[in-house]
Amino acid sequence: MIAQALVSGLLIGFVFALIAAGLTLIFGVMEIVNFAHGEFLMLSMYLSYFLHAGLGWDPIAALPVNAVALFALGVVVYYALIRRVLRAPMLAQVFATFGLGVFLQNAAQFLWRPDFRTLGDTWVSGRLSLAGVYFSGPQLAAAAGAVLTTAGLWWLLSRTEIGRALLATAEDRQAASLMGINPDRMFALAWGLGAACVGVAGALLSTFYYVFPQVGGVFALIAFVAVALGGFGSVVGAFAGGVLIGVVESLAGVFVAPAVKNLFVFAIYLVVVLLRPRGLVGKQ
Amino acid sequence: MSRRVALALAVLAVSLVSPRAPAAPPAEVVIGAVYPLSGNLAKVGNDIKDAIELAAELVNDDVDVPVPLGKGKGLPNLGGARLRVVFADHQSSPEKGLSEAERLISQEKVIALMGSYNSNVTATASQAAERLKTPFLNADSTSPLLTARGFRWFFRTTPTDDEFSENFFKFLGEMKKRGKAIKNAALFYENTLFGTDVSKFEKKYAQQYGYPVVADIAYDAKSTNLNAEIQRLKAASPDVLLQASYTNDAILSTKTMKELDFRPQAILAMDAGHVSSEYVPSLGKDAEGVVSREVWALGLGAKKPIVRQVNDLFRKKTQAGRGQPIDMDGTSARAFVGLLVLADAINRAGSTEAEKIRGALESTDLPGESLIMPWRGVKFDPKTHQNTLGSGILVQIQDGKYVVVYPFDLAAAEVRWPLPAWGK
Amino acid sequence: MKVAIAAAAVLAVLLFPLVFRGPYPQHLMILVLLNALLGTAWNILGGFAGQISLGQATFFGAGAYTSTLLFQHAGVSPWLGLLAGAAVAVLLALAIGYPCFRLSGHYFAIATIAIGEIAGIAVTNWEFAGGAVGLFLPVEGEGLAAFKFGDKLGYYYVIAALLAFSVALAAWLRRGRPGYYWRAIREDQAAARSVGVPATRYKQLAIAISAALTAMAGTFYAQYLLFIDPPSVLPLSLSIQICLVAVLGGAGTLVGPLLGAAVLVPLSAATSVALGGSGRSLDLVVYGLLIMLIAAFEPAGLVGIARRLRRRGSP
Repeated sequence: MIAQALVSGLLIGFVFALIAAGLTLIFGVMEIVNFAHGEFLMLSMYLSYFLHAGLGWDPIAALPVNAVALFALGVVVYYALIRRVLRAPMLAQVFATFGLGVFLQNAAQFLWRPDFRTLGDTWVSGRLSLAGVYFSGPQLAAAAGAVLTTAGLWWLLSRTEIGRALLATAEDRQAASLMGINPDRMFALAWGLGAACVGVAGALLSTFYYVFPQVGGVFALIAFVAVALGGFGSVVGAFAGGVLIGVVESLAGVFVAPAVKNLFVFAIYLVVVLLRPRGLVGKQ
Repeated sequence: MSRRVALALAVLAVSLVSPRAPAAPPAEVVIGAVYPLSGNLAKVGNDIKDAIELAAELVNDDVDVPVPLGKGKGLPNLGGARLRVVFADHQSSPEKGLSEAERLISQEKVIALMGSYNSNVTATASQAAERLKTPFLNADSTSPLLTARGFRWFFRTTPTDDEFSENFFKFLGEMKKRGKAIKNAALFYENTLFGTDVSKFEKKYAQQYGYPVVADIAYDAKSTNLNAEIQRLKAASPDVLLQASYTNDAILSTKTMKELDFRPQAILAMDAGHVSSEYVPSLGKDAEGVVSREVWALGLGAKKPIVRQVNDLFRKKTQAGRGQPIDMDGTSARAFVGLLVLADAINRAGSTEAEKIRGALESTDLPGESLIMPWRGVKFDPKTHQNTLGSGILVQIQDGKYVVVYPFDLAAAEVRWPLPAWGK
Repeated sequence: MKVAIAAAAVLAVLLFPLVFRGPYPQHLMILVLLNALLGTAWNILGGFAGQISLGQATFFGAGAYTSTLLFQHAGVSPWLGLLAGAAVAVLLALAIGYPCFRLSGHYFAIATIAIGEIAGIAVTNWEFAGGAVGLFLPVEGEGLAAFKFGDKLGYYYVIAALLAFSVALAAWLRRGRPGYYWRAIREDQAAARSVGVPATRYKQLAIAISAALTAMAGTFYAQYLLFIDPPSVLPLSLSIQICLVAVLGGAGTLVGPLLGAAVLVPLSAATSVALGGSGRSLDLVVYGLLIMLIAAFEPAGLVGIARRLRRRGSP
C-alpha cells in the first residue's frame, strides 16, 4: 500500500512541480506572484482540447504548440499589464494578476461554456502494472514530461548565456543592467518561460484530467504552496516542494483520511516556513 | 326631494346593487427562478432554465401534449394570462440566493419563486420567500432538512435523499434474494452538503438492513486527484460501493478506479455526477454497469409516451438555443414538472394573490399520468409540504444508455451483475 | 468642507432605509455596510500596519460559528455571542500572529491563505460544528434582544452602528501611537525596530483588533442570513473580496474601505443582474477587468483617483 501511495503521489507531484517551477521563475526574477498562473494552465488545457477535438492532434504531440503559445501569452501579459505595476506596491501587483485570473477564468466560461471536457483516447492512455503497483499511463507520461521540462528549464538557467542573464537580473536588477542586460527583456523572458512551463503542464494534464474553466484554481493553490515551500525563486526548491506535496497528499490521504489530505499540505507549509522562513531552498 | 338628488340616489342604489364588473385579469403572470446560471454548476442551471422555459411555453401555447395546462393558451382561470419566468443567477452562493430571491419578489414583483438546486442556497432563498410571504417551489434539492423547518410557504416536489437511500438497500435485498452474495458496503462521497447528507442516510439504512460499512470515505470534490481515496477503498474490499459525487469527481473517480484496478460487485451512485450528460461520453466503455438512483429516465418513455414527446420538444429547444440537441435528465425533468405544478396551482387559485396560491398548492393533487415523472402524482403533506407521492428508480448504464432496472415492474431490462472486470 | 461631506454621508446612510423602503435596496446597503466594516478591519492590519492578510475569512467564520454554536447549544444571547466570537477571534489572531509575523511579505500572505484553507477544511469535517451541512438558526423569535428582525431596518441600523464603531476606532488608533508605529513598521520594519519600535507587539495589536471586528461582522452575518456553512463564511474568495474592498477604495486611508464597498457591492450586484442571468459570466469578466485596471492604473484606489482629480482641479 505504501508503495502505491508513494508512486501515485510522486507521479502527480511531478506535475505540481512543473507548475510550481514556472511560478517561481517569475517570482524569482521580479518578485511578483502570478495569481493568474492557474488560468494559464487552464488556457493551455483548452488549447490541447481544441487541437485534439478539431484537428485530431494528440496532446503530447502538440505539446510544442502549447509551449510556444503560452510563452507568447506570458510575454504579452508582461508588456500589457505587469510592466505597469513593477514599481507599484505589492498589493497592486497582487491584484493585477488576480484580476487577470478572474478575467481569464470567466472569459473562458463565457466563450466555451462551463461543460467539462475530456480528451478521448490519446497516445498515452492505459496503465502499467509493476509488482502489484499500478502506474496510470497518462500520469506516467505527465510525470516524465514534467521532469524533462523542469530539467530543461534548470539547464537553461544554469548553463546558457541567456539563463545566466536571467539569474543575474533576479539577483540584482541594477547591477545586471549596468552589465548591459536589459531588465525589461529579462522580465518578459521570465514571464514567457514561466508561462511556457505551465503550458507544457497543461498539455500533459489534459491527457487525464478534465478541462473546465475553473480547473486552474485547484492546481494554482498547490503551486503557491509548493513555491513558498521550496523558497520563492528557486526552481529546484519549487520542484522539491511540488513533489513533496504530491507525496504528502497521497500518504495523508491513504493513511489518515482523504477528506483532510489538503489540510496536511497546508500544515506542512506552515511548519516549514516557520522553521525555515525562506523555504527549504529559498533565495533572498 | 329635488329631481337631481333623486337621480343621484337612484344611480347610487343601482350601482350598489348591480354586480361590479370584475377587474381585468392580468395579461401576464410573472414567476421568479433562482438557479446557478454561472460558475461550476452553470450547465445544470442552464438545463433547468431550458426546461422551465419549455414548460412555460407549453402552458402559454395551445399544444397537443397531455401535460397539465397544455391545452389552451395561458392560464384559463386567469383569462388566458401568459406565464413569464424571470431568471436570476445565484452563483452557488447562499447570500446571493437570498438577495436574488428578494430582488425578484420586491423589484420584479414575481408572485412565486422556484429554486435553487444547491440545497444550501435553497435554504436561504426560501427563507427570503418565507419572510416575504411568497410561495416557493423546490423541484430539485434533496436535503431533507429543507422540509423540516416548518415553513408555510415552502413546497417540495422531489423525493429526498432519505427515500433514495433506503431504495438502494431494498434493491440490494432483492438482489440477495436472487442469489448474489452481498455482505458489506463502502461509502464514498463528496464532503459538502450533498454527499454528507446522503451518507448519513446510507449509514442509517446500512445498519438497519444489516450491511457492515467497511469504509466510510469523504473526499474533497475539488481534489486534483483521488488516488489516495481509491486506494483506501480498494484495501477495504467492499462488495458494493455507495457513491455520491458531482460530475467532475464522478468521472475522475471512475478513471482512477480503472487505473488502480478497483472493482466492487456494484457501484450504486446517488444521481448527480453519474447521470450527468458528460459521464458516459467521457468514459465510454468504462462507465458500463454503474447503477444510479434516478428520479427519471428517458427509458420511461417505453411505458409513458408523454416522456418521449416532451423530450423531443426539449431537444428541439436546446438545438435552437445551444446549437446541439440535449436529452432531458432527472434535473431538467423535475424542473419541468415543478413549473407545471406551480402553474396548475396558480390556475386553480384563479388569482395572483399569494395566500390563494399557497392554499391552492396545499390542495394540489396531480395524477401521475399527466407527469413525465415515475411518480404516483403530486400531493403535498399538510405539515411539511413534501410531495408524498414521489418515488425514485434505479437505472443502470447498459451499452452506453441509462436503462431502468428497478423497481422490477417498471424495469426495461435485467440488471447486469456484477460489474465487468476492467478492460484495456 | 470635509466635515460637511462626512456629515452629509452619515445623514444619507441613516436616512437611506427610511427613503428606500424596498427589501432589495435595503439588503444591498446592508451588504455595503458589512463589506465596509470588513474592509475597515482588514485595513487596520493591511493598510495601516502593512501586513497583507488574505485569510480574513478565518476570523469571519470564527465569529459566525462561535455565536451560532453558543446559541444552539447553550442558549446564549447572540449579543453575548458577538463578544464571545470577537474574543475567540482575538485568541486565534494572536496564535496565528505569534509564529507568522516572523514571515515577510508574500510568505506571510500565503501563510494566511494556508490558514484560511485549513480552517475551511477543519470545519467542513467537524460534526459538532455542523460539518458540510452547516448550521441553521431558527427563523422565529424577533426583536432587538434576539438579534433578529422581521424586516431589514433593525439589521440595517445594527450594522451601521458596528461600522461607525469600527471607523471611529480606526480613526482613533491611527491618530495615536499605534498608528504612528504602524506606519513606521509598514514603511520599513527593520528601521523601525532599530529605533525602538516594538514591532511584534504592535503587529499583534493590529491583527487582534482586525480579527475582533471581522468576527463581529461574522456574527452579524449569521444572524442576518440565519444559515452558515463553510463555503459561505470561510472561503478564500471571501478573504480576497475583503481585501479588494479596501484596496479598491484606497488601503491605508480611513475612507478607502467605505468607498470601496460603496462601489464594489452595487457594481457586483448590477453586473450580476444585467449580465449574469444569461449564465455566461459576463459580469465576472467585467469584475476581473476592473480589478486589473485599478491595480495597473491607480493602485491608491478610488481615494487616489479623487486626490488626483482634486489636484488637477485646483489652479
